[in-house]
Amino acid sequence: MLQTAQRQSKTKKPSPPHERFLEAYRWMLLTRTLEEKLVSLYRGGLITGGVYIGKGQEAVSAACGLFLQKGDIFAPLIRDQAGRSAFGEPLLDVTRTYLGSRQGPMRGRDGNIHRGRPQQNQLAMVSHLGAMISVTVGTLMAKRFKGEKDFIGLACIGEGGMQTGAFHEGMNIAAVEQVPLVIVATNNHYAYATQNDREFACHDLVDRAIGYGFEGYSLDGTDLSACLEVIGGAVKRARAGRPPQLVVASVLRLSGHGEHDDASYVTEEIKREPFARDCLKVAEQTIADLNLVDAKTLTEWRKEAVAKVDEAIATAQKEAPPEGDKEDWCAISVRDLVDSLQ
Amino acid sequence: MSITYLEAIREAQAKLLRDDERVFIYGQDVGGTFGGAFKATKGLAKEFPGRVLNTPISEDAMVGAAIGAAIEGMRPIVAMQFADFSSIALNQILNNAGTHYWRTNVPVPITVRLPSGGTKGSGPFHSQSMESIYAHYPGLIVMTPATVEDAYTMLIEAVAIDDPVVYCEHKYLYYHLKADKLPTQGVPTGTARIAREGRDLTIVSYSAMVHEALAVAEQLAGEGFEIEVVDLRSVKPLDTNTVLASVARTGRLLCVGESFPWGGVTAEVIARVAAEGFHLLDAAPQRLNAKDTPIPYHPNLWSAHRPNAKEIARKARALLRE
Amino acid sequence: MPQLGESIAEATIVDIKVKPGDEIADDQEILDVETNKAVMGVTTPCKGKIAQITVQLKETYPVGAVLGYVEASEADAARFAKQAPSPAQREVAEEIPARADQEVAPAREKKVAARDGDGARAGGLPVPVTPKGATFMSPRIRARMAELQLTTADLAGIMGTGAGNRVTIKDLENFLHKIESQTAQDASAIRTGVADAMRRSWMRPLSTIGSSVNLDTVLQDRQSRDPKPGPGLYALRALALALAETPGAAAKLIGNRVVQSTSIDVGIAVEAEDGIMVPVIRSAEKTSLADLATKYKELIELARQRRISPDMQAGGIATVSNFGTFGMEWGTPIPLPDQTLLLGLGAGKKVPSWNEQKKEFVPRTEAQITLSFDHRSIDGGGAGRLLKRVIELLETPKKL
Repeated sequence: MLQTAQRQSKTKKPSPPHERFLEAYRWMLLTRTLEEKLVSLYRGGLITGGVYIGKGQEAVSAACGLFLQKGDIFAPLIRDQAGRSAFGEPLLDVTRTYLGSRQGPMRGRDGNIHRGRPQQNQLAMVSHLGAMISVTVGTLMAKRFKGEKDFIGLACIGEGGMQTGAFHEGMNIAAVEQVPLVIVATNNHYAYATQNDREFACHDLVDRAIGYGFEGYSLDGTDLSACLEVIGGAVKRARAGRPPQLVVASVLRLSGHGEHDDASYVTEEIKREPFARDCLKVAEQTIADLNLVDAKTLTEWRKEAVAKVDEAIATAQKEAPPEGDKEDWCAISVRDLVDSLQ
Repeated sequence: MSITYLEAIREAQAKLLRDDERVFIYGQDVGGTFGGAFKATKGLAKEFPGRVLNTPISEDAMVGAAIGAAIEGMRPIVAMQFADFSSIALNQILNNAGTHYWRTNVPVPITVRLPSGGTKGSGPFHSQSMESIYAHYPGLIVMTPATVEDAYTMLIEAVAIDDPVVYCEHKYLYYHLKADKLPTQGVPTGTARIAREGRDLTIVSYSAMVHEALAVAEQLAGEGFEIEVVDLRSVKPLDTNTVLASVARTGRLLCVGESFPWGGVTAEVIARVAAEGFHLLDAAPQRLNAKDTPIPYHPNLWSAHRPNAKEIARKARALLRE
Repeated sequence: MPQLGESIAEATIVDIKVKPGDEIADDQEILDVETNKAVMGVTTPCKGKIAQITVQLKETYPVGAVLGYVEASEADAARFAKQAPSPAQREVAEEIPARADQEVAPAREKKVAARDGDGARAGGLPVPVTPKGATFMSPRIRARMAELQLTTADLAGIMGTGAGNRVTIKDLENFLHKIESQTAQDASAIRTGVADAMRRSWMRPLSTIGSSVNLDTVLQDRQSRDPKPGPGLYALRALALALAETPGAAAKLIGNRVVQSTSIDVGIAVEAEDGIMVPVIRSAEKTSLADLATKYKELIELARQRRISPDMQAGGIATVSNFGTFGMEWGTPIPLPDQTLLLGLGAGKKVPSWNEQKKEFVPRTEAQITLSFDHRSIDGGGAGRLLKRVIELLETPKKL
């Protein structure tokens, strides 16, 4: 098994747009619109629990969701709204979950970004970071057992999540099992309030790829076409039977850890770094520079995004919440085996 | 022909692999010619190529992968080498597998085999009984077979159940317990078994302790007491009705378990009997567990640490005199 | 046979490398055995000569079985005999001595002492050691008793076989079984009502004192009255006046409070069709003897009509019982459960009584008068003084 770590050099000039550039941009736009609305609902006290947004990571995330096809497995985490939408998650799933409608995918039993639709190949995350890597591996093993072809799995993680034991075990077993897995790790430079120098000690996280038997690639996460190029390439290679792929993207988290966090610990210094650019603005600049779309269309797109978000929110707001005394308090599916506890 | 408890487990796995293509076995050292640290999978890798797989020493990932595979339609059996090591996988078992159906309405049909319980000289990290921890968390079935027959039928049933099953097999019983033949049908999980009928006192137990209890019953029969022994078979679900019916007959309850004393199966049984069958008790219910220390290594300390027939008899006699 | 791996129970002999008479060295392999895992060698414990091999090839033996005997030096024999695997014994683990730099031991001892049964305290209050002892009634017993409407009084006749001679469910069932073979009818409501009242009353320490009273003056006094009050009413009036004089005697002890009566209410036994009723005369010390007689007549009528309600029988502090009408001379009647005193008047008898002045025996009508009392609320001395005063008043009916 030949293992190579390739690094893509960061260029200052905007790359020529990828063929799916505008498609990806629209998902980013929808996501940004949605999450801004969620933040304002949160600040208005209309959302129970936390709100975690992926501001600054939309390019990476959209690229993740975009290249997945029917039969692929997607294991998103908390800042992957763009990927979820691109993968096909309806906006209503988001608004129903956040606004506490009984009709949401988790029916009130879990909240916010833990939602998923396992039967539609979008895994529902648990809070313990790194745990979903091995679960993704398992789904891919099952597909192989069943004789399916041409499938891959894509799991997301952050630089903080990469340090857990579970992540290590998951990454190792993925390579041992030789499953077609792509791990997209976004280093957004803050794991809650902890900077990289207290999170890991190696020079570059992508160096770990060789250590695990993965192929590794670095990525400027603020550059949409780079994201599409690198992530698209990784997905292609996984599908072609290469060893598992690790893509490490660099961005800055442009929000608090959650909306309850004011991120006042983020230094002014780091905000001036190149990786601190807002990928949405960068993409819009590219669109302007290359005149990919006229201003009128752009405005329409923005309006459409707002309309879609507003509709999803309005629908969810009309729906009833779950009720404790009407709930089926049963944690197992085989009713005969329910324990007779008072 | 006599068959041991361990062989029954191997036979069950062979039957499962044979009859259901969704089944595969995932654990350390289970594959190749080695067939597992206790030989529970000996010969199976050869007979079912590609379905008995060696894993790295990664209990978290072993269970995580099993969960993923189960979501995608497989029926994996995760073979932990020792129950004690499953603590590494607690997060996946309790928080991932155990919550999945509740959260997403998609059940996770994994079976985790836990070689449990003490044998002489195994020490603190190769002897634990962890059924109480798994039973405590919602979303899991916990089985504790005490007989060769149950070891066979309950493992087959475990894989058929759509929910995650923690199957606690007892290492001491592996070669110490034999039966003449394997049954074709088993009693479904959720029903306890009256291992011995009695009149004067009920001992509720599970796994290896059932045999200690039966030895005590034999001994006390010579002293004129008829002890009823109840084998729980599964601790979750726990067959409260059979326990209550037994206490209704005898009026006295002693609950014996091999796990640590704080909380646990014995506490759970007594809590239920106190709540629902208080009026049935002619004396305060008692329990006997291992001591509240890690499990010792030296055989003298080990045998003093866990309940044994002598201890159980002493406690039973005191209860009979109440 | 050594323990060749966890969970191994037995092994099969596959090779015997020595025979009796062979000289063997320390740690020499003398047998090969096979378990399910592997073939392993068994070594001698020490050097010496093979005396006997007690096992056979291809046979299976359990762990701990004797495989053979080695003749060895005395020193070696002593040393290895001690190390021979013994059936697991329970040794009392020695307390690990506390290190000098740790203050662990004293605290630990205190905790252990506190846990011990005797002298255990929870929150400073003494804690019962175990639910043993004759008075322990298990939930099962209580449930069965409730089912059969039995009280502990009913179980008095059972000799318990449980700890401290307490009654176990078996004892109860045996007892009930015996009763089943005997003829029985249903008790009337009156019977069970009285039984319950007396049982409750008996929960207190009751005592009785008595003396004799000269009834001649009473008998003479009643001749001049119409209607004629019975001796019982005279006794009631006397008691009421005596209690009014010593209000302390008219108090009830409840817990550690002495509860004063607001009025002297005394009951009088009235015979009704289906039993005795005990209506209470309120403020009896303010009711004249004439009024008492009238009231009594009314009560007899009400009793006949069965119109004496429970309210009319409640709240008294004493009752008078004139069992003399049945011919009894003395008795130890049981005060009603909500009262502390019961005055019992026996039948009058013509008896010789020593007259100190005349220095001869003279006839007089004498009756025994007894006072039963709740010894928690009043002592013998107090009861005695009260009874003496009642007798004084009775022997001077003008004062009534």
